[in-house]
Amino acid sequence: MPPTSNKTPNALLHGALDALILKTLTRGPSHGYAVARFIEETTGDAFLIEDGSLYPALYRLERKGWVEAEWGTSELGRRAKLYRLTDAGRTQLAAEMATWRKFSTGVSKVFAT
Amino acid sequence: MKRSLRSWLWRVPLDQEFDEEIALHLEMRTRELIAAGMDPAEARAQAIRKMGDVRTLKRECVDLGRKRDREMHVTLFLEELRDDIKFAFRQLLAAPAFTLVATLTLALGIGANSAIFALVDATLLRALPYPNPDRLVTIWETSAISAKGFVSPPNMQDWNSRSRTFEKIAGFTPSVASMVLAKNDGTAETISRQWVTAGIFDVLGVPPIAGRTFTADDEQKRARVVVFSEGLWESRFNRNPAIVGKEVKLDGELWTVVGIVPKEFEILGKTSMWAMRPFVNMPPRARASYQLQVVGRMKPGVSIEAAQSDLVAVANGLAREFPDFNKDRGVALEPMHDTMVGSDLKITSMLFLGVVGFVLLICCANVANLLLARATARTRELAVRSALGAGRLRIVRQLLTESVVLALIGGVLGIGVGYGILRVAPLLIPDGLLPGTVILQFDMRVVAFCAVAALIVGVLFGIAPAWQATSFSSPEVMGSDTRTTTGSGGRLRSLLVMGEVATAVLLLFGAGLLLRTLMAVESFDRGFKARNVLTMLVDPLGSTYPTPEKLRQFFDQVEADTRALPGVQDVAWSSAVPLGESVFGEYPFNYQVVGDAPLEASRRPTTNYQIVSPTYFSTLDLAIVAGRNFDERDAPASPRVAIVNEALARSLGGRNPIGLQLAVVPADSPNDKPAIVEIVGVAKQVKQRPDETSDFVQLYTPLGQDLVGDIMLMVRTQTDRASALAPSVRSVIENIDRTQTTSVASVTTLEDVEWAATGRHRFRAVMVSAFATLAVVLAMVGVFGILAYSVQMRIRDFGLRRALGATSGDVIRLVVGGAAKVVAAGMAIGLVLSAAFARLITTMLFGVQPLDFVTFALVTIVLGIMTALAIAGPAWRAARIDPAQALRQK
Repeated sequence: MPPTSNKTPNALLHGALDALILKTLTRGPSHGYAVARFIEETTGDAFLIEDGSLYPALYRLERKGWVEAEWGTSELGRRAKLYRLTDAGRTQLAAEMATWRKFSTGVSKVFAT
Repeated sequence: MKRSLRSWLWRVPLDQEFDEEIALHLEMRTRELIAAGMDPAEARAQAIRKMGDVRTLKRECVDLGRKRDREMHVTLFLEELRDDIKFAFRQLLAAPAFTLVATLTLALGIGANSAIFALVDATLLRALPYPNPDRLVTIWETSAISAKGFVSPPNMQDWNSRSRTFEKIAGFTPSVASMVLAKNDGTAETISRQWVTAGIFDVLGVPPIAGRTFTADDEQKRARVVVFSEGLWESRFNRNPAIVGKEVKLDGELWTVVGIVPKEFEILGKTSMWAMRPFVNMPPRARASYQLQVVGRMKPGVSIEAAQSDLVAVANGLAREFPDFNKDRGVALEPMHDTMVGSDLKITSMLFLGVVGFVLLICCANVANLLLARATARTRELAVRSALGAGRLRIVRQLLTESVVLALIGGVLGIGVGYGILRVAPLLIPDGLLPGTVILQFDMRVVAFCAVAALIVGVLFGIAPAWQATSFSSPEVMGSDTRTTTGSGGRLRSLLVMGEVATAVLLLFGAGLLLRTLMAVESFDRGFKARNVLTMLVDPLGSTYPTPEKLRQFFDQVEADTRALPGVQDVAWSSAVPLGESVFGEYPFNYQVVGDAPLEASRRPTTNYQIVSPTYFSTLDLAIVAGRNFDERDAPASPRVAIVNEALARSLGGRNPIGLQLAVVPADSPNDKPAIVEIVGVAKQVKQRPDETSDFVQLYTPLGQDLVGDIMLMVRTQTDRASALAPSVRSVIENIDRTQTTSVASVTTLEDVEWAATGRHRFRAVMVSAFATLAVVLAMVGVFGILAYSVQMRIRDFGLRRALGATSGDVIRLVVGGAAKVVAAGMAIGLVLSAAFARLITTMLFGVQPLDFVTFALVTIVLGIMTALAIAGPAWRAARIDPAQALRQK
């Protein structure tokens, strides 16, 4: 198997998931479950992921400095780890959205012919 | 800052953090499913299913979290470090005088240390330049009179063949002598040569860079073979490989140059070539010829203890087999590195290391003092930073960064200082102190040493001031005036100065003892007068003077013509220079009174053997205490005579030595027919070394009856400029030997020989004195600094006192009294330390006791004077304070 064949969808998925998380967090700090719910609701199940895969993504984003974690309180009144978008995260999101728009306009143009 | 908050304030372990997060997720998902009408148990199960493999997730997340934490710490640390360094440079640039003094002080300290480190590194730390050097041992023969004796060739060969723990054992003669190389243009040159046995290059593992080394076959054939050093090959033969395999004429015989070995091999002896001495079909008595220094290469994995017990068993066997020679003789092993370095060098290196270490401590104390003073002035700045939220550790870290930056600048300058010292130091190092051709090199190891030293030093002198500077309560300091801040800072400074003075006293005392030793060694009566004597090695080519008569005629002619030169007082020939070179190398003879019961070979006394002309004793002003001097009666045909020295005379059991006959035979060829000589005189004892423990035994024979091919010419001049006569003497020789093939070498004066003989004492005394002087100056700068500073801080106090009626004398008393107390305490501590440390250098002393009162007194006086000078300035300034002005000053 050529080494690239498996990587592209994975990387694409990663990138998309990262962007979705960042976008979700623009609405304010949330914990992991809230992020998962929001993605489920807004994508209308078009983007089906395991709940679990969300967390490595969050940790990865935190390592990159795009989100930061703080302790807050959940709806259940318990201590919850909340993720907040950082300035670097905002910049990153803008960049990803721009790339995405360019990509999708391009694809749309092709489909429109 | 924000990101770090989480980890600093809510320090939850990563795996717990993850567990909580997942638990919350599962719970909320379950609730949602129940709310949608699902059965609770089923909802829980589905939530878990939807989550996936939690264990894998956890591993992945915790791993990511750890990496993030690490990176965060590093980033944060680096950011803070960068800020601190920037800030440190700004601070240092803002106080150029402080920075200059501090860095120069550190440069001196670190530089001195780096130079000494290079010495220690070259000698003690570095392994011998041979493969697997830890397997090389020196093997000595022991006897009742010697714990480290040289070895007889048959014993060495038996050790080699009978031991099971050695790969190979070989030997070499400990001294280097010379041979005359006849050159193609008809001229001759004296070349240093060391004798070795066939296996020596194999034992040491030295591969030739051209040709080959010696083989067992060479030895069996008794081949005349020689190996050149790379140095000789380079300087005389332009690295021409064609020389290998060629024959050269050495001392009139043809020798084959079989190979060239690299420079590193010269560590065995400072020589230009190695000639093989074959030992085959030796007579039994050769066992009593102790002439070789022996090295063995142990088999891999063999410990020196195992090798020792193996060889002891072999030696015991030999003692049973050859009781005549080997009874009561054993073996002793030591690592070859120890033999090469020698205890003298080791102890000297340790001494220097200790001394420069103390100097560096004084440097640190001085800089710490400066920092303390600065810290007091900066108290407000630091208090403000503290009030703005910087923790104490953070401020300490910043101050430490400042001191480390300071130390690193000092370290860089120190590299320069060290390099300078290393350029000069080799000129001071006496010949023979360093083994072979060890060269002091300034390499990356020394630079690395400077870097490490600077870091340690930076923390060392920075930590106390930094801690001190941050021990305040902010409101109090900010509301107050800097000048009124006193307290423990002052105490710490006093302690530092006390320590500096104590260390300076210690070093000064050590220097004093070594200088007194040097003086004792130099003024020591050797039994002869060394002033105004020119010496040189004269080596005529054997083929020009084929018979003893011809050679004697040549010597007589040279002596007569030299005597005729203006300014010459006396001329003599001798096979050796007292304290210096001998044409034989170390070549002992056995002697015994004719008629006495023969002694076992291992018990026969040995004597040094020297051939001299009758004028030798008058030239050196060496007294004949009994009997007569040599004269014209002692011709080749007359009965052989000898003059013995006092030590030899004493060894004859109280008999009157005059008229006794001695049987004399070279110790390395006891089977030779002994020469019978009659003692006609006793010469005064010549001392080789001032610290020699046993008197040197010496036998002189007349040149008229005994000949040697190369010989030292000694010329006593009437004026001080003995060395100026050298060219005239050379031209005398050239005029006599028309073939111009007489080699003249080692042109020097006896004073220079003497100077070299006391070299190691001088080296130690000069080095330690230099460092002690540096230490005293630094300590006095410290005393001056603290005093000047405290006067500055107390101007208003003094002004007030003056206004209230104190005289300027009172103020001076106040200043001097305070300083004197600190210095006196430091001196007392220093003297106590000196008394304790003096014991450590006892072996380096001569003619002075470790607790020498004169030295104690001198050190006290010198330091007293220096202190007075250091105190005078600040005291004078304090006395001149104008009360009115001082009180107006804010």
